[in-house]
This record gives sequence, C-alpha cells and structure tokens, in this order.
Amino acid sequence: MRRLLAFLAACFLAAPAAAQLAAQPRHLAIELVAESDSPAPGGEVTLALASKPDPGWHGYWKNPGDAGIETTLAWTLPGGVTAGPLEYPVPHRLVIGGLMNYVYEGPFAQFVRLKLPAGLAPGTRLPIAVKADYLVCTNEICVPESAQLSTVLTVGDGSITPERRAQFDQWRRAMPKPLGSAATFAVEGGKMRIGVPWPADQAADGPYFYPLTDGAIAYAAPQTVGRAGDTLVIETQGGGKVPGEVEGVLALDNGRGFEVRAVPGAVPAAAAQAALDWRAVLVAFAGAVLGGLILNVMPCVFPILSLKALGLARAGGDERAARGEALAYSAGVIAVCLALGGILLGLRAGGATVGWAFQLQDPRVIFVLLLLVTAIAFNLAGLFELSAPGAVNRLAAGGKGGAFMTGALAAFVATPCTGPFMAAALGAALVLPTAAALTIFAGLGLGLALPFLAIGFVPALRRRLPKPGPWMATLRHILSVPMFLTALALAWVLGRQAGVDGLVLGLGAVLVAALALWWTGTRQAKGRGLAWAPAAAGIVLALGGMLLVERKPAAATEVAALGAKPFSEDALQSLRAGNKPVFAYFTADWCVTCKVNEKAAIETATVADAFERGGVEVLVGDWTDGDPALGRFIERHNRAGVPLYLWYAPGAAEPRVLPQVLTPAMLAELPTRTGVGG
Amino acid sequence: MKTVMLGLATALLAMPAVAEQIVGQPAGNFRLTDMDGRNVALSDYKGKTVVLEWHNPGCPFVRKHYDSGNMQRTQAAAVAGGAVWLTINSGAPGKQGHLSLAEAKGQYARDGSKATRYLLDPKGVVGKGYGAKTTPHLYIVDPAGRLVYQGGIDDKATANPADVTGARNHVTAALAELKAGKPVSVAESRPYGCSVKYAES
Repeated sequence: MRRLLAFLAACFLAAPAAAQLAAQPRHLAIELVAESDSPAPGGEVTLALASKPDPGWHGYWKNPGDAGIETTLAWTLPGGVTAGPLEYPVPHRLVIGGLMNYVYEGPFAQFVRLKLPAGLAPGTRLPIAVKADYLVCTNEICVPESAQLSTVLTVGDGSITPERRAQFDQWRRAMPKPLGSAATFAVEGGKMRIGVPWPADQAADGPYFYPLTDGAIAYAAPQTVGRAGDTLVIETQGGGKVPGEVEGVLALDNGRGFEVRAVPGAVPAAAAQAALDWRAVLVAFAGAVLGGLILNVMPCVFPILSLKALGLARAGGDERAARGEALAYSAGVIAVCLALGGILLGLRAGGATVGWAFQLQDPRVIFVLLLLVTAIAFNLAGLFELSAPGAVNRLAAGGKGGAFMTGALAAFVATPCTGPFMAAALGAALVLPTAAALTIFAGLGLGLALPFLAIGFVPALRRRLPKPGPWMATLRHILSVPMFLTALALAWVLGRQAGVDGLVLGLGAVLVAALALWWTGTRQAKGRGLAWAPAAAGIVLALGGMLLVERKPAAATEVAALGAKPFSEDALQSLRAGNKPVFAYFTADWCVTCKVNEKAAIETATVADAFERGGVEVLVGDWTDGDPALGRFIERHNRAGVPLYLWYAPGAAEPRVLPQVLTPAMLAELPTRTGVGG
Repeated sequence: MKTVMLGLATALLAMPAVAEQIVGQPAGNFRLTDMDGRNVALSDYKGKTVVLEWHNPGCPFVRKHYDSGNMQRTQAAAVAGGAVWLTINSGAPGKQGHLSLAEAKGQYARDGSKATRYLLDPKGVVGKGYGAKTTPHLYIVDPAGRLVYQGGIDDKATANPADVTGARNHVTAALAELKAGKPVSVAESRPYGCSVKYAES
C-alpha cells in the first residue's frame, strides 16, 4: 500500500500541472441536483450537473470544436439503476487565435436521466455517485479537472417541489429541441450544404449550425445561411470528410436550439445566396428608381416639383446655380428616403420575431392603410387641401438652401403615395440585409429626384416645362379614382380578415374620417382658422376603431376548422372525465411536418365532418416557444418532440400515439373505430 | 539576421496562409529556426520519414504524454527506426507556452526530449499552414514527401496520464506500417488537447 502511495506521489511530482490541479481550487463549480429526491420505481429522474465557470473561464460542449475535450462521466449506481447519455444545452462560439471553440462562458446545466428498476420498495436509499472529468479553459490556458459528485435519492412517489421544477424548467429552455423533420446534406466541391426544414414564414435570426459529427465542416469557417421555401440552407467549408450523416444543433439568436440530423440528399439552392442576392437587389433597385420616377406624377408630389421647376426656369441662364439646386434637391429627397427606410428597418429589428408578411396579415394594419388611402383619395378629389403647398411656396422662393428642404418635403409628402404603389418593392427591402435594404430606399429617392436633376442639368428641358394651370386640378381629380379603387381593395381584404363586423367597423371609421375631413375642407374654403381641428378629432376617433378590430380576427384566424381549444393537462382531464373522445395535437411554428399535416389532414372537411359526427373534442398544444410544461407532456409520449398526435378513446386508459404523417382518412376513421361515431 | 531568417521562412512556405494538409498529397514545405539558431527545412529530409509534433510545454495534454514518458518513448522509437522527429512550437509571444531559443533549450533538456530538432514558429505560419489545432497534434510525412498521417498521438482523448496504457498509439502504429511497406490503416484521427496559442490576427 505504502509503495502504491509513493508511486502515486512520484506521478504527481512528475506532473506539475496535475499537482497544481490538486492544490488549487477548481475553476468550474459543479453541483449534482436531482429533479425529484424521491423518484418512483420503474420511472425516470432527471439529474442536472449545474455548473458555473469562474469569470474568464469556459467549459466545453459535447463537440468542443477545434480543440478541447468533452465531459466524461463514470457512474457508481445502485443495482438496476442505469444512467442515460449526458445531454448538453446549446453552447456558444468563442474564436481564439483563429480556432473555434464551442463553449459555455456562463452558468450552464447538463442533464442525465436515471432509469429506476420497477419493484424497488418505497423508502429504499439510492446513493448516486459520479466522477466527472472535464476541461475548463481561459483564452490562454487549459486545466483538466475532475469532480466527485454524489447525492442520495429515496425511492418514493416521484414528486417534485415547485422550486425544483421551476429551476429545471429554466435549464430545460436551454436544451435543444428535436426538430421533428429530417434534414439533408450535400458535399459539393469541398463545400458542405445542409438543408434544414424550416417554415418559410418563420423568422430565423442569426442561425448557426453547431456540428456534432466531427470532420463534417471546418469549424472556424464562416457559415452563410439562406432560405429556399420551407428550407433553411446552411453553407460552409467542408471538413474534408464525407460523413454518412451529419448531426448537430441549429441555434438561433434568441438562444433556442434544434437537434438536426441530416442524411445525404438534395439541398435546394438558397434564394438569398450572395451572388443571387445582389442580382435581386439590383433588380429591386431598378424597380425602386422607376417607382420613384412614377411618384413624380403622383398628385401629392407634382405641385411641389412643378413650383420648384418653374422657379428654376425663371432663374434663367445661370447653369451653376441650376445644377447646385438640382443636387441639393436630390440630396434632400434621398436623405429623407434613407431616414424613413432606416426607421422602418429599426422597427423591423425591434419586432424581430415578427416578419413583414405577418404584419400585412394583421387586420389592424389593413385598417390603418384603408383610412390613409381614403383620406388621400378625398384629398385628390378636392374635398380638402393639405397645407403643404403654402410652405413649399415659401421654400421655393428661398433658392439654394431651400432646395434641400424642398426635396426633403417632396419625399416626405410622397410617402403616403408610396404605400400602395411601392408596397411590393418596400416589402422586398424589409426582408433584405440592412445595407441592401437601404440601397433600395436610396433608389426610391434617386428616382423621385431624377426629373428635377434632369431639369437642372438640361437647359432645353427647362424651357419646355408646361405652365401650371387649371389642368393640374383636373388631373388631380382624375387621379383620385385609382386611389378610391385602392381603398375598395383594402376594404375587401379587411372583410376577408376580420369578417363582416370588422369590415363594417372599418367602413364606419372611414365615414367618420371622411365627414371630419369634409368639415375641415369647408372651413378651409371659408378661410377659417383652426381648419384642421375637426379633421384631427375625426381621425383620432376613426383610428380608435382599430382597437376594436384587433381581438376578433385574431381568434377567427387562429381557431382551426375543428374548433380546437388550447391544450392543458387540466382541460384534457376534464374532457376525459366527461367520457368524450379527444384528439390532441402538438405543433410548433418552426415544425414543417406539423404544418404539412395540419394543411393536408387535420384541417380538411372530411376530418371536420367525421369529428363533428363523433363529438370529438380537439385540443391543440403550441410548442413554438418551447414551453417546458408542454415539453414534459410531449416527452412522456414521444421523445422526438413535435409533431405529436394523440387519440383518447372514451374510457381508454392510455392514448393511442398516431403516426407522424397523417392522412384525412386515418383521422376520419378514429371516431368510428371506437364505436362512438353516429 | 534572425528576422531575415523568419522572413525567409514565411516566403519559402509553399502554401496558403490558412490551409489544411491533405493525406496522400505532398506535404507543404517550410523553413524554421531551431532552438540552436539553425535553419531547418522540411525538404532537408527528403528521402526520410518525418514526424511533426506540435508542442506547448504548459498544456496539460502535452504534459500527460511527456510526464508519463510516452512522448519520449515514441520519439526514441521513431528516431531509432530511421525517422526524423521535428517538434514545433507555434505559441505566439506573450501567449502560454511561447518559448525563446534559450527557454526552448531548457525545456528540451528538462523533458528529456528525444526529438531530432525543436523548431520555433512564433508567427504561427507553419502551424496554420498545416492546420495544426491542438497540442499535441501530429503529422507524418513519408520519404517521398507525402503526408501519410495527421491527428492525435493516440485514441484516448483525456488528460489523464493513466490512459496512456491501453491506448492505441497512432504514430507508432503508422511508422511500423510504413516500415513494413503497408498502407497506414489509421491515416487520420481527431487531434485532442489545448488549442494552439496563435497570435490574434
């Protein structure tokens, strides 16, 4: 024995690093916590290795990256008790000296599930011990550490204290969720391309693929991510090997992660690849310039432009002054377009979880657009005047310095016109990267400024300008017709989205606004002061209608054809206590398979009829935000997460877990097979 | 003079700045200064098998193999079999494990290293050219100048010296296969250890 000790001592003396390790406190504090201290026999209990690295130190993910090692565990467990694999939360990236590290720099918790044998007597003590070997590093140095952890569990009823549950649920949120749909990958010319199923209408901000399969990708190489329909296409440098399959975790900016398993297969070309991307931006830019050009004949811009142009024509032969003013005007236009674009982009960044397309599906947005377009139409028709031309008159006289302001004003006044006519181009801009989006907004400004630039630089054009006169008023009245048609189209969209009630509410608001504007118009005609007071009051009142229109459509669009209610275990219990057949399904906005099943099977008339006749109650659980309570329920029936479809026949003890790919016939026969059909 | 040599080393490097070497392809040539101040080029050893070992004296994984004597035994066996062993330190000045010429000599002596040469690569040019990621990280170049192995020293990715016994030493195995005229059965493995302490670029 003594000889052994001496030998060990010699080993330690010869190993300065290891000796240091024994003498110094550890850099990663680990605590072994059981979710339940009294697990039930035959059941499972989750253990957490709750870890906290010292400031400046980091622990490693399962795949440590270019260097480092994963955690290894050696268990000492009572007979019959078995431990599952170590489960890691979503890591983050740390690049040091060009080498990639997948790490945890803050507190994190790894999970292990213990399985207890059935038949253990309640009250049996279960001493649990584990030796954890792991690496903890700073940017400079690495220390392999070893921790002896232990806890004692007592066989019981599996109860969990609320505090423990809350703590574990918090840790659970950091765990990657099974994606529920299979991914594909392809290696082409040294590049690894991975196609991850991801619904086209779901945002995916800051995606990064953490590979578990070693050698599949070059860890430190940048990843580009594009979208192609319902696929997220990740492209990066390959790792030199062509693996049989690629496993990993897709992580998003919001800290959520999804377990991905990719098999060899076709990967679609990403719509937003770098080369393609810029071509699309160029097309959108050209469209924006053209759109801006068209905006010049919009009645809200035309008067400003013509006043300014006539001012230039009057100035006569001074070429330099004309050019200077044209440039200043253009600068003003482009500056305002960029500023407005910047604000729009800022709003998008603020509401990052909501895509642009989603906003247009919101009846409240349609409601506001309807009011705005109607007001513009009435303005064109001559019901009331905007006071802008007066201000422009003053500015137009100002000459050089005023030119910038005139341009700014023209761009600003043009924005309401921009809405309906440029919606497509601006919508495209909002889904592009910031730089590309701003290019499009600048293009819009350039187009708007183009005629004036031409007038400023080509004297011949100046001499040919038409004289302003009564024909302008006629043109304006004629142009109110397309505006009214636009309003009509918006009213139809509102009706589709919010039903007859929403439509009537919208038209009522339009009526209130129109009457108020009419009143304002009469006051303006008589030259009264405070002409805008009635209009302001009316518009506020009309906009107030927006608050009423919000609720109903939200419920109307959410509820599926089956009259599904939100899932909760209480709701399920009470329905089952009432001896009703229940179909419960679990879905998430990021799950493509779920959406396909809903469209192709669940929300079909066949199923609706069959369920109606069978008196089937439908419960739907939305796991989009990874709710842990829902997660636990899902996990009890299916380790693979969503989609999950459960059929509770009346009186049956256990639900039937339906396949992950549904057909209408499969669902329609459910009530009849259990004999409840009518 | 020394800076001139380092400049030369950079210029002579026949490969892109960040690249990986491919097994079966000619290994990229390089020239570095060793701890005695001599110039050493890979091409100097044409016709011989060359083992490259990335080294950082402060890394616990390197210590595992030196303090257990495993690395020296592997070096001695390789050299006895007619191979050349080049230990390379790519630690940047100011980073953990960086050594000056004099320090390198001291470290070499203390470790009882059996390597043929100890080379310094403070700019990390050769390390990055070879895609060296960890310490230790090993490469074998055959007498024809082709890369025949890259990866870890063995298959037990731990820092525990007790794991040396029972591990498959990939380098010893590959050298034996080369000598027997057989293809290298494990030509690539995942290297393990500390990250190479390159300069932040």
